[in-house]
Amino acid sequence: MDALLSVEDFTMHYRTKAGWVQAVDGVSFALKRGQALGLVGESGCGKTSVAMSIMRLLPYNAEIKHGRITLGGRDVYAMASEEFRQVRWKEISMIFQAAMNALNPVYTVGSQIVEAIVEHEPETTEEQARRRVAELFDLVGIPADRADHYPHEYSGGMKQRAVIAMALACNPSLIIADEPTTALDVIVQDKILREMEEIRRRINMSMIYISHDISVIAEVSDIVGVMYAGKLMEIGEADDVFKRPRHPYTYGLMHAYPSILGAKRDLATIPGEPPNLMAPPAGCRFNPRCDRATDECRAVEPKLIKAGPEHRIACHNPVWTPSSGGERVGAAR
Amino acid sequence: MIPGHARAGGPSGALRPAPRFGREQLKARVITMRRYMLGRVGQLVLTLLIYMTMVYFLMQAMPGDISQVYLANPRIPQAARLELKKQLGLDRPPFFQYLSYIKNFFTGNLGVSFSHYPRPVWDILVERLPRTIVLFVTANCLSFYVGFVLGRIIAWQRGATVDRMATVVGITFWTAFYPLLSLILIWLFAFTLNRLPLNQFIEPALWIKAPFTSNTVFGYMVLGASVIALAVFLIFWVFRRGLRRTRRSAAMAWAMTAGVIGLAIWIAHATGTLIYIWDIIRHMILPVCTLTLINFAGTMLLMRDSMLETVQEDYVMAARAKGLPDNVVRDRYAARNALLPTVTSLVLSLASSMSGGLVTETMFSWPGIGQVLFRAAIGNDYPLATGALVFTGVFLLVAHFVADVLYAFLDPRISYTGQPAAEG
Amino acid sequence: MTELATSPDMGRGPEKQLPRFDPGITEPIWKIRWKMNMRSLAQNWEIFKESRVGMSGLIIIIAFGAFGLLWPIMINFVWDPLIYHPVVGFDPMLMHPSPPVAGHLLGTDPIGRDILAQLMFSTGREFLLGMLSAVISVVVGTFIGAMAAYYGGFTDTIFMRVADIVMLFPFVPLLVVIGSMIRLSIFPFAIILGFLEAFGGITVILKAQALQVKVRPYIDAARVAGGSDLHIIRAHIIPNVLPLSFLYMMFNVTAAIVSEATLSFFGILNIDMSWGMMIHTAETAGYLFDFGKFWWLWAPSGFFITLFCAAFYMVGRGLDEVVNPRLRKR
Ligand SMILES: Nc1ncnc2c1ncn2[C@@H]1O[C@H](COP(=O)(O)OP(=O)(O)OP(=O)(O)O)[C@@H](O)[C@H]1O
Ligand code: SF4
Ligand SMILES: [Mg+2]
Repeated sequence: MDALLSVEDFTMHYRTKAGWVQAVDGVSFALKRGQALGLVGESGCGKTSVAMSIMRLLPYNAEIKHGRITLGGRDVYAMASEEFRQVRWKEISMIFQAAMNALNPVYTVGSQIVEAIVEHEPETTEEQARRRVAELFDLVGIPADRADHYPHEYSGGMKQRAVIAMALACNPSLIIADEPTTALDVIVQDKILREMEEIRRRINMSMIYISHDISVIAEVSDIVGVMYAGKLMEIGEADDVFKRPRHPYTYGLMHAYPSILGAKRDLATIPGEPPNLMAPPAGCRFNPRCDRATDECRAVEPKLIKAGPEHRIACHNPVWTPSSGGERVGAAR
Repeated sequence: MIPGHARAGGPSGALRPAPRFGREQLKARVITMRRYMLGRVGQLVLTLLIYMTMVYFLMQAMPGDISQVYLANPRIPQAARLELKKQLGLDRPPFFQYLSYIKNFFTGNLGVSFSHYPRPVWDILVERLPRTIVLFVTANCLSFYVGFVLGRIIAWQRGATVDRMATVVGITFWTAFYPLLSLILIWLFAFTLNRLPLNQFIEPALWIKAPFTSNTVFGYMVLGASVIALAVFLIFWVFRRGLRRTRRSAAMAWAMTAGVIGLAIWIAHATGTLIYIWDIIRHMILPVCTLTLINFAGTMLLMRDSMLETVQEDYVMAARAKGLPDNVVRDRYAARNALLPTVTSLVLSLASSMSGGLVTETMFSWPGIGQVLFRAAIGNDYPLATGALVFTGVFLLVAHFVADVLYAFLDPRISYTGQPAAEG
Repeated sequence: MTELATSPDMGRGPEKQLPRFDPGITEPIWKIRWKMNMRSLAQNWEIFKESRVGMSGLIIIIAFGAFGLLWPIMINFVWDPLIYHPVVGFDPMLMHPSPPVAGHLLGTDPIGRDILAQLMFSTGREFLLGMLSAVISVVVGTFIGAMAAYYGGFTDTIFMRVADIVMLFPFVPLLVVIGSMIRLSIFPFAIILGFLEAFGGITVILKAQALQVKVRPYIDAARVAGGSDLHIIRAHIIPNVLPLSFLYMMFNVTAAIVSEATLSFFGILNIDMSWGMMIHTAETAGYLFDFGKFWWLWAPSGFFITLFCAAFYMVGRGLDEVVNPRLRKR
């Protein structure tokens, strides 16, 4: 299968009064149709920025330094804005991090979904669109007659489900879910995730899950990307990344967990602080916190290199390199 | 379309009728709305009483015994004086005076004007009230609309030249000294360009032969305008509501609006009132323009600021992500939500725009409540001044109430909290 | 009101409290507090400086201040009081009103008084009037707002209902009626205006702000630490409401000046000279019907009123950006 989405060496910085925030730096990955990519990383490492770059919804102060994003073979940033407007929601939709606020308070929830459908499928009548809303609500588990309620009459979980229903409304080939469940309690979180996963598999849709909760990502992703300080550190099939991590950062994260499917915990378990993105450390951005750091790490920035058929890492001294024959740190048991 | 995609909705239930969302919901909303409005009316009456009390005590607190002044007016004949004294309860202790003042107001008795003796104050004010209402409502609606539209544009183009220029012009008009502004407008339009009538409300020469009084025509005008406004509102409600916003529906709505206005003009022509109506309208242009110029900038700047906030809301981002056209995102998302605080502040600024109205009426000799109040105050016509002050207050209260109700319609959240956002 | 809802406290509150719990600090508390205030002032100033509108306003105000300060110098050392007195001066050498000539750079009014001298003389008094009424309104309004928010309940209800009524008052008609009965001079006028503003909208807005501060955890902490109500209001609530108060102060100056000018224009106030009065003089003498020809009678004072009000309004907008991060320039 060809790649549905491909991000090539994408670098995007924010201009601020104090300087450039290097929020996305040289990120590359590809996503095939029907695949789910999980993007993990500490808060502020640039996950949302990547998502917004793909949606072409960057704020005024964002500047793309270099790189390319293509969706179904078309360059996202080369399209005319009117053309890309048609692409949005129809081919790529999004579940926002703050789903609570993603609904316009002055219109009913149903009408906001109908609006998107009618916009992208002009041949659909309002009646048909409403019927679709009812089905979508069934699907995400909201009573269909709540469609004519206003957002403030919904509970947080219902809003979250409504936003998911909205993202599904036009049958997109890719949905970006930015922390789709963080606002919910654990039980609901699991349920919604599972439902989303089921829908996704059924209609062969691609998905990007963004989260700082590894257990969430582990549950649903085919491919996992680990971000640190604006850079993609490791990316590969979920099994590889979780069971045989090569990057010291990923290794540290995994090591902190007795089992990835065990207790839910946030990522910030490695000693030290993530760097200031305005002046990241020279060389590898992880070097101040890395116990494997060498002089090379402090001088030369590691590139993403192949470490397996579908596995790439950005590190000079990866954990357990078979060819080097050096020490085998007990990562891959 | 992506091939191989089933509809997200699983088995396509084409035979199932589209659900009719929200009958119940609507009913519940109407009920809460009614409860809300009843509550507001209760508050309204209470506020009115307090207001009247404050005006009364204010008058009492003025130096000199008002009741003495009242009775000592040489224009009132001796016999009438005693009658008046009794009527106003001036022969009884102060508390009863106060009570009879309140009672008299609700029975439409505000005493007799000194300067227009023997016309009752009530008569004078009731005659003039419609003129003030028309001027005030027209100018406020116009300035609000202009301010809203301009504010929306400049917020959307933040930082552009338009934004900067509009801000400067807005601040200039907003802080302009408006008596002078109206003088400049009079000079410009009436003297220099010789285009618009200078002042007053009608052209006396025209009306001498008229088969009706100016107030009759004015009454028709007010009635006609209300009917037209209602009709246009309904047309737009039917054709432009929610998602039915196609180009064809827009054309239809505008065509029907034109039809309604044409019909109104034809009726006016057929009944022979057209030239008189036109005369009144011509006289309205300058004062309305002045008031609009004074007031629009406030709305504009506020709309700009509040829209700069709403454009950063997540739902605006979501609307963009949904691939809605730019103008829909602007109007239905950013501007629609920015409208709410703007209306709140409109409510708060009604009183000050009434102040502007008084100045404008005086400057343009527009014979409304404001002008009467001013002249009565200058001429020490206490009953008339008091009456005009109370009327102004009542008028503002009602305007306040209307704006509140409007707000409740604009903001779906309101009927539940029962409190307009103005309160916090 | 939503546009005011964002917090203006710039994180000062919790920091300020630290010294109370840290025995290691020997500096007196007032000194620390003073330093803190200075620091946040400096920060706010940095933000304010970014606002072009606000800075322009500030520069205009400073220019007005300098212009007003010129008056005592001019009348004492440069100008002959007999000719240049703003109220009773008269220049016998000219026909009045005289257009601008060498000795009278802005001409004279219909009764022979120098326009420039009048402008200069009035500037100081406009400052006085505007600042006095604005300070009264903001001090009273802030205090009432803080009280209403802190105590809630009955106190709150009373003040809010009063505010409803006062907001309903059409000020100018009311002042026209009051003014025509007791001819108000400048001080009573400023005081009445200040109180009217204080009990009206400003209370409501500041109360809303104070309410947001009230629910912050450090207020509870202060209460647990044994702070008295008055102390908490003074040390924690008011400082957090203050930037907003300051903002409204600017807008109130504008309101006061406009009211004064309007009433003076109609000749209702007992003020011998002000910018509004100057236009009044020209109007009653009938010179305003020929605008273009006698421009010096109305243009300078009209321009001054507008510019002065605009300047305060602009500073207010600049402060708005300090208080409300979302409005800031980008
Ligand atoms: N508009 C902006 N201007 C300047 N800097 C920004 C902007 N948006 C984000 N940033 C900065 O860019 C970095 C990445 O932000 P981003 O929102 O992408 O992080 P994230 O990984 O999504 O974090 P979280 O898990 O908390 O959502 C952060 O350091 C943030 O401070
Ligand atoms: S490149 Fe060096 S510093 Fe960076 S992760 Fe690898 S070993 Fe650590
Ligand atoms: Mg994020």
